[in-house]
Amino acid sequence: MAERSYKTDALVLNSRPLGEADRLITLLTWEKGKIAAVARGARKTKSRLAAGVDLFTYGHYLLHQGRSFAIITGQEVKEHFIRFREDPDLYPYGLFLAGLTDRLIAGTEPCPASCRLLLDSWRLLDGELDRDLLCRAFELKLTDLAGHRPHFEGCLGCGAGGAHIFSPRQGGVFCRQCAGGDGMELDPGSIALAVRLIGAPLAQARMLRPGPRQKRELAQVTATFLRYHFDLDDLIKLR
Amino acid sequence: MVYPEPLEKLITGFCRFPGIGPKTAQRLAFYLLDRPREEVAGFARAMVEAKDKMRFCSQCGCFTEKDPCGFCTDPRRERAVLCVVQEPRDVLVLERTGQFRGVYHVLHGALSPLDGIGPEELRLPLLARRIGAGGIGEVIIATNPNVEGDATAAYIARMVKPLGVKVTRIAFGLPVGGDLEYADDLTLSRSLEGRREM
Repeated sequence: MAERSYKTDALVLNSRPLGEADRLITLLTWEKGKIAAVARGARKTKSRLAAGVDLFTYGHYLLHQGRSFAIITGQEVKEHFIRFREDPDLYPYGLFLAGLTDRLIAGTEPCPASCRLLLDSWRLLDGELDRDLLCRAFELKLTDLAGHRPHFEGCLGCGAGGAHIFSPRQGGVFCRQCAGGDGMELDPGSIALAVRLIGAPLAQARMLRPGPRQKRELAQVTATFLRYHFDLDDLIKLR
Repeated sequence: MVYPEPLEKLITGFCRFPGIGPKTAQRLAFYLLDRPREEVAGFARAMVEAKDKMRFCSQCGCFTEKDPCGFCTDPRRERAVLCVVQEPRDVLVLERTGQFRGVYHVLHGALSPLDGIGPEELRLPLLARRIGAGGIGEVIIATNPNVEGDATAAYIARMVKPLGVKVTRIAFGLPVGGDLEYADDLTLSRSLEGRREM
């Protein structure tokens, strides 16, 4: 029989009021994937759980598996991303990263790579770098981890190099012959940027200096791809 | 068990109340059936009357019977100090302290872009107009100390500061009667930031 009480490191993806004084939170855990958990009494001023169940928190949680939801019985905050809630410019970015993870990652399989990606992204977002470029890197890496990586290396139809027409529906690039009028034509620099962002460590986004055209095109590519495959209109509006 | 229709309707009605499940709804319905008819009729009338007569104050957004409300028309209140809160019930909580003698502005929510709640969905444009009309020297932001409340406070501060009005946020700290050892790091660090000289 599975252990009903367990401890795990987790990131808070969502936190909503529940009933009179509780909170229903979505946790992305290293060992058990995404789980919904109730923090009883967390909205009361004297609650010991309150500070650890707010959005943008990385903590260590003690949970007890109930019939429908896990119940949070203890928590220890490891890192609070306070600036996200105190800086109106930063808030939508933090919210976007958490929301996208919540929508793309499902199931209770261990997902250390997704946890690490979100945590690193939140940390980088808090520093000095091109926030939009970091978000593009995050989008591409997360879709890859979720098993929906868009294809940028060679034509999806014939495998020829230099393909530069992106089809959101097919999730990849085509050469002019195979595209058949479908898709958006991209600058080769935009494709190179996408490949670099998927493959390179996240922190390298700090060192890249793409031109406005490449940034604009990549933003269009990821937006149309996410809209088509995941119906994420509400999230895309945050970007 | 299937109840007679009038009783079933009553239980279903109670079930719609926040925090009331089927068991509690059933208990409330049976309680009402045990009460004298006049008492139940008085309760029903009170509900309908409250629904018919209560409205939001066009100036501050509080619940009121008369528009503008008692807070906005009371000559003894300091009109230069404006306290911004999330919900009408927060006004009553602050009034209970007896410490605040200024006027209020109720937002009716907090910024939550993922739920489609932006500045336009709150009473923020109205707040800007109110401050722009002049006569306000300080805006106290008393939104909840959670992510949405803090983000809303930051947005208001950015909106109000260029108008040359002092913006303050209610203090964060330890709850009265609590032990220091049980306080979380965030509350402790904020209470240190907001310490005062004795």
